[in-house]
Amino acid sequence: MSYAVGDALPSFAIPSVSPEAMKDWAVFLADPNPIHLDVEVVKAKGLGDKVINQGPINVAYMMNMLMAAFPGATIEAMDSRFLDNVYAGDKVIASGSIVAIDGARIDCEFSLDAEGRGTVNSGTATIRLAY
Amino acid sequence: MSDEATLPPAPDVAGVSLDGTKVFTITAEENARLCASTGTTPATDGTAHPIYYYIATQVAMGKTVAGVCEACEFDVEDGPMMGSSGVRFAHPLMIGESYRVTGEILSLVRKRSRKLGVMDVLTYRLRLLTLDGTQVLETDNVWVLPRKELA
Repeated sequence: MSYAVGDALPSFAIPSVSPEAMKDWAVFLADPNPIHLDVEVVKAKGLGDKVINQGPINVAYMMNMLMAAFPGATIEAMDSRFLDNVYAGDKVIASGSIVAIDGARIDCEFSLDAEGRGTVNSGTATIRLAY
Repeated sequence: MSDEATLPPAPDVAGVSLDGTKVFTITAEENARLCASTGTTPATDGTAHPIYYYIATQVAMGKTVAGVCEACEFDVEDGPMMGSSGVRFAHPLMIGESYRVTGEILSLVRKRSRKLGVMDVLTYRLRLLTLDGTQVLETDNVWVLPRKELA
């Protein structure tokens, strides 16, 4: 497989962010923050009317996009910025592009967009190809 | 004098240890559940989903999320927010491998924010090691702690 600077990476979509997954992640993260579990708490805090996805799940979506774009490769480095919340029921799409290539290392930019609300996460990553 | 110089100083927490005592082991079952929850399938080469960089370091660091907030004199109920997260992998994360965590708070910087009023920006670094001491990754996380009482 060949790659070039400027190539767009195939996008990765979650059609509807699952509140059930948030319950699993509360266990994975050992963090029972109720804004991810109880919509009444979200409302009481004035943060909206749907439970809020844990931030690391959003990073995982972007990692999934990168791993699918570079089969067999490994993520060497990744930096993600959290720009806005992702809510239960959101459709989110991770996408990216290649910004530099140095031998087996490929630098990418990426973002996660929530349909109708724009970019909610963005960042950069270095991928090491498997040769 | 800058506007921020008029604020009371943020707690001096730089250097606070986040070394953990727990051992974190990634199981195939949990990795499969995690992959499914993010819309993908587990790798077939024995590697775990790389997002375990965040999970393993958070779960096995020496303080809970609430404990990190408490060290910063911040009530976790006031809603810490993730600002950014960075990771550098030296080795992939493996199913069945056991890991421990070392780390420390790097800084807590008080700032004024148009959106939040006053906030403290917390930066901490965690390292994930195998039990023989081999470093697998290093991660820097930034949280935003809104200081409503100072707004």
